[in-house]
Amino acid sequence: MKEIYLGVDVGSVSTNVIVMDSDNNVIDTLYIRTKGKPIEALKMGLGQMKSRLGENVKVLGLGTTGSGRHLAATMLGADIVKNEITAHGVAALNIVPNVNTIIEIGGQDSKIILLRDGIIYDFAMNTVCAAGTGSFLDRQAERLGIPIQEFGSLALKSKSTVRIAGRCAVFAESDMIHKQQLGHNQEDIINGLCEAMARNYLNNLGKGKELKPPVIFQGGVAANIGIKKAFEELLGCEIIVPKYASVMGAIGACILAKEEVKKRGKTKFLGLNIADSSFNVQSFECDSCPNMCEVVKFYRDENLAARWGDKCGKWSNVQISQNDEKLA
Amino acid sequence: MPIKVGIPSALLFYDYYPLWITFFEELGADVIVSKNTNKEIVDMGIKNTVDEACLPVKVFHGHVLDLKNKVDLIFIPRITSVSKYEYICPKFCGLPEMIKYSIKDLPEIIDTNIDFRKSKKNLNRTVMEIGGYITKDVKKIKNAFEIAMKEYSRYKDLIKKGFLPIDTLKKDIYSKGDFFRGKAKVLLLGHPYNIYDPHISMDLVQKLRKHNLTVVTCESFCEEAMNEKAATLDKKMFWSFGRKILGTVLSAIKNDEICGIIYLSSFGCGLDSVIGDIAERRIRRDSNKPFTLLTIDEHTGEAGVDTRIEAFVDMIKWRDEHENNLSPHRKFIHSN
Repeated sequence: MKEIYLGVDVGSVSTNVIVMDSDNNVIDTLYIRTKGKPIEALKMGLGQMKSRLGENVKVLGLGTTGSGRHLAATMLGADIVKNEITAHGVAALNIVPNVNTIIEIGGQDSKIILLRDGIIYDFAMNTVCAAGTGSFLDRQAERLGIPIQEFGSLALKSKSTVRIAGRCAVFAESDMIHKQQLGHNQEDIINGLCEAMARNYLNNLGKGKELKPPVIFQGGVAANIGIKKAFEELLGCEIIVPKYASVMGAIGACILAKEEVKKRGKTKFLGLNIADSSFNVQSFECDSCPNMCEVVKFYRDENLAARWGDKCGKWSNVQISQNDEKLA
Repeated sequence: MPIKVGIPSALLFYDYYPLWITFFEELGADVIVSKNTNKEIVDMGIKNTVDEACLPVKVFHGHVLDLKNKVDLIFIPRITSVSKYEYICPKFCGLPEMIKYSIKDLPEIIDTNIDFRKSKKNLNRTVMEIGGYITKDVKKIKNAFEIAMKEYSRYKDLIKKGFLPIDTLKKDIYSKGDFFRGKAKVLLLGHPYNIYDPHISMDLVQKLRKHNLTVVTCESFCEEAMNEKAATLDKKMFWSFGRKILGTVLSAIKNDEICGIIYLSSFGCGLDSVIGDIAERRIRRDSNKPFTLLTIDEHTGEAGVDTRIEAFVDMIKWRDEHENNLSPHRKFIHSN
């Protein structure tokens, strides 16, 4: 019987599930598009992973991260629910122990994490603007009719510079259209966009920070070698893109779950068969007070499993009678 | 029947409420404070405010609407300046007009100009003018103001001790005496109406306290030391908020008890765009304290704020363990 740990990262664009053994070796990874339906994506991801793992495994623990981490934890039963920044930091440290800078660009947000001597020392996340994140690249690739996978390699083919405004996604798009109507090559425009994104990232998040090598680039956008090259040129150092760059958050959550289970002795994970359960959500606006909280009711196999979204605790704190044994 | 005075519990309410409430009560008025900020108030405010105003000003409009049909007078002074050669935010100078022209059929507004930019000489006249809305008895007004000032200084003493306005507003402030339990202190910067309003700040203070951190703000710092530090800035900070915040920052970066600094800013705030940036530069240049800027607006999804708070707290704790050579994570790295 193989002993494994699971890490789950439910993000805005992708839902990732990874499997690790007790020695922190990654056994399997899965990257699924969330497509606005985190519950279904996660159910599908876990189901696929279950059939890939076969019968002969024992799950010792599970950790969740990403903007849907609380939802995932409610669905699956998690040993640890961790924010993305800590999870990414832990994962990077596991791969490059002396890492000093982490550039992470995901679907809806981008982060910079600075580490010194193996601890997170400083971080920043994009503020109100999502310019220069994965979903913007996705949109542009779609507009140009290029598969997102080829975006980076096309940028590398560029021979001359085309400057694109990177400060705002709306400006960047109109700038790209103007340049394309002037007759510039598509490769050059794409390369210009990659450079604009890297520049915008460093101006926005790297402002006033010392970005020391080794630098790791992770998150879904790290798969884009055009942007990697742009960062290398701007920073003047090598950028490491780890093998599992797109699922680093899940790896971090998995490592943290392992530590947590070691401390507590047993896992809260409800078992791989949970992938066969049905999940349902209903929401309503509570009318008890003028706050009008949007309360979510979460059902597992037709049983009410949790409620959240209220400020006062009227709904979320109430003990829900449920049959956990049946599920586990 | 006593005259009913409404006080919106927004903007500078958190700085001055014991002074204002006591003053009007001593004059014999019935004081009605608007409800705590809630979604309904925020919604009403957004609907009835000019588009480009910031969130706290929109919320203020909501509080005025909450009081509209309940009172005879609403207290919306034009607070221009409370310290010599300094200003409050420019939006406060036009606040009574903004309200009057955005909300129809309001009761009479007490819109006395409070301006001590040149000197405090006109304090007496200002007090008389405000009191004049309730009574013509000069002696009574003078007396009420004295009592109110005493109440106000009692309040400031409590704040100095480390209580925050959200604690003092409770009936029994000592009922949950665990405000100071965490030895690690986090300095929370920002305009008082953002950080002390639990709805606007998404309950930031309680969220930090739940992580066993003690929350301190500008108000808990010694004012003289703050002013001394603020005077060392390259140029005089002519906004009162800015002087306080930057003075606090300069004191805090030398204070070992403070293990992290959070700046809460509302989206589109002109003052914060300058003060926040100077604060960040100073903190980064002269200390290695963790710093983060949280921006809030009218959104109700808390995930973004929660992620940043959790990561910030993790970072503080991780650093702390590291300094004590107990970092579990370092052990973990080396075991690989």
